[in-house]
Amino acid sequence: MRRNFCRFAALGLLAPGLALAAQTPTYTPPHLPPPQGFRVFIVPDMEGMGSAVDIHEVIAGNEGEQYRTLTSPDYWDHFRDLLTREVNATIAGARLGGARSFIVNEGHGGNLFANILPWQLDTGAILVRGFPKPLIMITGIDSTVGTLMFTGAHAGPGHPGILAHNFAFDSFTVNGKSLNEVGINALIAAEYGVAVSLVSGDDAEIAETRAILGNAFIGIITKYAVGRMAAITFSPARVRRMLADSAAVAVRRAMRGDFTPFRLAKPYRVELMLRRSYPDAIVQGVDSLNWRGLEKTGNRSYRFTTDDARQIGYLLDAIEGVVLH
Amino acid sequence: MSRPALRLLALGAVPALLAAQQPRQQSPAPRDTTPPEAYYGVTEYAAARQKLEALMQPRGFTVYIVADMEGLAAAVRNATEMRPGARGGHDPTHEAFRKELADEVNAAIVGARAAGATQFVVNEGHGGTLFRNIHPEDLDPEAILIRGYPKPNVMQTGLNPRVDAMFIIGAHANAGTPGIISHNYAFDSFTVNGVALNEAGITAFIGGEMGIPMALAAGDNVLTAETRSMLGPIETVTTKLAQSRSAAAVFPPATVQRRIRAAAARAVRRVRLGQLKPLRFERPYHVAFCLRATYQPWVAEATANLAGVQRVAEDSTGRCFTYRSEAAEAVGNLLNKVEWIVLKP
Repeated sequence: MRRNFCRFAALGLLAPGLALAAQTPTYTPPHLPPPQGFRVFIVPDMEGMGSAVDIHEVIAGNEGEQYRTLTSPDYWDHFRDLLTREVNATIAGARLGGARSFIVNEGHGGNLFANILPWQLDTGAILVRGFPKPLIMITGIDSTVGTLMFTGAHAGPGHPGILAHNFAFDSFTVNGKSLNEVGINALIAAEYGVAVSLVSGDDAEIAETRAILGNAFIGIITKYAVGRMAAITFSPARVRRMLADSAAVAVRRAMRGDFTPFRLAKPYRVELMLRRSYPDAIVQGVDSLNWRGLEKTGNRSYRFTTDDARQIGYLLDAIEGVVLH
Repeated sequence: MSRPALRLLALGAVPALLAAQQPRQQSPAPRDTTPPEAYYGVTEYAAARQKLEALMQPRGFTVYIVADMEGLAAAVRNATEMRPGARGGHDPTHEAFRKELADEVNAAIVGARAAGATQFVVNEGHGGTLFRNIHPEDLDPEAILIRGYPKPNVMQTGLNPRVDAMFIIGAHANAGTPGIISHNYAFDSFTVNGVALNEAGITAFIGGEMGIPMALAAGDNVLTAETRSMLGPIETVTTKLAQSRSAAAVFPPATVQRRIRAAAARAVRRVRLGQLKPLRFERPYHVAFCLRATYQPWVAEATANLAGVQRVAEDSTGRCFTYRSEAAEAVGNLLNKVEWIVLKP
């Protein structure tokens, strides 16, 4: 049972052994080409996308030994196609709303962050794919981005959502506030003054994210969870229509400045607890990072304080490197 | 890991047939009595029902379609046709039957819509792929699809009084009959107030208490005959003529789809005319069931521990039980609990 939990869990983190032991990146990637108009940054994940309910639908099976049996290629292929079409619908809607530049950053670890079919993706988009990448789910963000959208997002652990999890953690709080993956990435984006305008996911995810980010963003409920791997779902076509319609509205409202970046008081006091389901070796691995400022407060609990949310991103990377090693 | 083997036991269809077809490997299935709640937080049935109810249009005519697979046109063999590649099926064949399932459900939707139905909820009813058989993009885009496992009250998830009629497509005959891949959940027999019910009958019973009639059943000749004898002269479509539990004279899929379209339209008209009545029993409901003889003994032990379940004292096999309830929904939940014992996620 725990083994199962463990497997579902690391969806955001699948990767072969890679320890980013460095405190800061040693290689600074070049900036993405500057936008020729209003830029939308889209983070597509898979657990919260329309129709997906089961781990076999979002795993390619090549992410590591523990994932080998958790795929069914006849299912996986269909869902990466559906994913690509969801992203295209979002881009099409955003374009109608006035956006002219699109960055799509793979937010799902299946096939090592290479789920979208590049040949079928809207030709107006730049796609960030592969792993590792410096800020994982938000790699490529900068202040040229006009607005941030999360599609297919999932709820955090303990919430009754489809394949609910949050990176490598059972709990993750900043200044005492519990954040899910959308919340963490929204906080990092806020360092660049970028705000979240649209989130799609199941009903549990949207409810949780509203509690974190507030009610301003446009939430799209793609399905209603009736279990961790079962849901009442709308058709893919209907979900795409909702995404397109909402993305158009989101861009117009973002251009008007309706959304505010998700800011918390500095310094950020981060408290995190590694999953109870992890073996002790992972805890030891995190300990041996000797991450500057990372203070152990319990068996699997840590505290970290910083003024720069990007440091949280780098820390997450380092921890992921341990988990996936 | 041998857990997949255990799963298959439960997935309808499998055990007796496999036993007949190939020498059974008698490595004892590992005992996994973990309650499913510990695997996943499964939403309570009532909460799932409220979620669906809140999504539905209050007006119009709603059809709730249970989509099973054994009774599909041309389907005869579980091992290749109704299982994904990852679980030992044969990919292209399985894919073709997934498409056939969507086509038959869509035919029912088209027919029902022509007769005035306005809203469609499709509930995946076949466990071979853990209730993920229809390609979502193949289904009529206006339909709501309930998929995945575990889900509360497996074949009746979300069923609520706003539904006007129930259909079952791809249905199979009761356990112990000569129908194609005949079985009934985890049971060799299942009765309510002494009346034997097949899976279509159980759905009709649970929906019947809410006042919803089962209006259309499609499956092989054994299924259609037994369902009419259980539920009366509802609309039925015979998709094939069983020659054994794994051979049939099959009608062409296109013909079957055409017949389903026509029957679905008739079914909706007859419900609107009040000609089809919900299946109702006297309360309290006296449920009696025997687990499949092929199960390991621990399945019976775990079942005996379920709340409200009594072992039949005079039964020497120890796998027969009774259950008494005032609510059909509670019977559905019991079914679910038994399913969860044998069908781990």
